Amino acid sequence: MNVRDVLDERVMDLNMKAADKKEAITYLAGKLKDAGYIADVESYVEDIYLRESQGQTGIGNYVAIPHGKSDSVTQVGIAIGKMENEIEWETLDGNGVKLIFLFAVGNDNENAKTHLRLLAEVARTLGNDEAVDKLLSAKTVEDLKAVF
Amino acid sequence: MKIVAVAACTSGIAHTYIAKEKLIRAAESMGHTIKVETQGTIGIEDELTAQDVKEADIVILAVDIAITGTERFEGKPTIKVPTNVCVKAPKQLIQKIENELNK
Repeated sequence: MNVRDVLDERVMDLNMKAADKKEAITYLAGKLKDAGYIADVESYVEDIYLRESQGQTGIGNYVAIPHGKSDSVTQVGIAIGKMENEIEWETLDGNGVKLIFLFAVGNDNENAKTHLRLLAEVARTLGNDEAVDKLLSAKTVEDLKAVF
Repeated sequence: MKIVAVAACTSGIAHTYIAKEKLIRAAESMGHTIKVETQGTIGIEDELTAQDVKEADIVILAVDIAITGTERFEGKPTIKVPTNVCVKAPKQLIQKIENELNK
């Protein structure tokens, strides 16, 4: 398996429309639900917000990585939403957010290590400013996948 | 200089690995060698060996939680920062370390 195996088109939207953070997270959670990654949108979003309350998930460069462990997660994965406009978010550089990586991770991870390792690889790529620039200008899913 | 670091964030899912990448890129671009151990949900990866620690000029602990193995760093110059510092301003962090060590 490689990183591209966790990049699932069904849970990506590169033309996402969202007015605010809550709408964006709820929308992406809905996609995770439809694709079978989570059992329940409401309890998953609650767990994401629990992590949000513990510190900023906006890492700067218009990128946010909401995450957190939730019993609602049935399969480890990552939803990606990209917007034209910035939305408000708690970020390290004070800017808003245009690109969201919503991590779906459960509490029991013994059987999910392979996938979690791939998620860690995705996170590492987000620590590379040049890669982030490419992600921000990605127009298609192929453009986006090519960065990883 | 030779840098060793440990990165560990609250959930062990994302910040740990972003901090690792940021530290490596910043350190190498400034001409240093660096090895970063991660302690995350998937356990310990790229574990620092006794030799790594022995050779290091500085230990960076980029941690938001209690980590294991801190006894390895006893007697070594150590700086402890939240992972966010490494994500936000890794070069400034390393610059600060350079300044401190050159005093």
